[in-house]
Amino acid sequence: MTTLAFLVALFLLANLVVALIAAARGPTSADRMLMALLFGTTGTGILVLLSATGMGTALVDVALVLALLAAISGIAFAKRAWQAEENGHD
Amino acid sequence: MMVLVFDGLLACALLWSAWRALATPRLDRAIVFFIAFGLLMSLAWARLSAPDIALAEAAIGAGLTGALLLDAYGAISRRKGGK
Amino acid sequence: MIEWLSMGLLLVGAGFFFAGTLGLLRFPDVYSRLHALAKADNLGLGCVLAGLALTADSLAAALKLLLIWPLALAASAAVSFAIARRAQALGIAPWRREERQE
Repeated sequence: MTTLAFLVALFLLANLVVALIAAARGPTSADRMLMALLFGTTGTGILVLLSATGMGTALVDVALVLALLAAISGIAFAKRAWQAEENGHD
Repeated sequence: MMVLVFDGLLACALLWSAWRALATPRLDRAIVFFIAFGLLMSLAWARLSAPDIALAEAAIGAGLTGALLLDAYGAISRRKGGK
Repeated sequence: MIEWLSMGLLLVGAGFFFAGTLGLLRFPDVYSRLHALAKADNLGLGCVLAGLALTADSLAAALKLLLIWPLALAASAAVSFAIARRAQALGIAPWRREERQE
């Protein structure tokens, strides 16, 4: 069970890294900001799985904070930083 | 073995995102890589069994600093566009 | 029995996360990528959380794990809505099949 949880956490980290590299090459700045959304869910999953592998239940609190605060930077991007001039071209 | 792969992947992703945040010429991309670096860093603190620092890193490093930097970037580019 | 159910849920969750990443890599425009990420990844997170809550030590720990899910759902729904509305306000056109053959 613990081994499986760690394996799934490793798989999620690999997903995260691949998506990070792909999003870094994305054509528009929105693609890059999808990374915040991705980190919100995948990072939460990794932290919860790590806490299940015997690294302490405090990691569940970290997962909660990560899930909520990754959303803040995503919304700050959409509302404040994303201007018309910088989309479309690379 | 698995633990080593996990930590190595995390360390490589940390170094890569730190390098991109420093070396990217465009400001908005650098900010996004900085946010990604903060989130990966909080994962790394969690791996190092320091959940309190991971909590602070997730809250301050990724959430608040990222939002403030994005807001400042938006203000700068709006001022440039209005000129 | 519960052990096997929990393992199965973890594997199903990993599959949904994989589907979300695949969607991020392969889908053509912002809207469809949002669609892939926001739904598949959150379903994967829900499966993983349910699988871990089945084997949690106490009822309180299980409930705390399950509490993360609605919060993550609300957060990702808010972010997806904000990004999609901004993309539409900036005039980014949704992808159509004809545009691919130009």
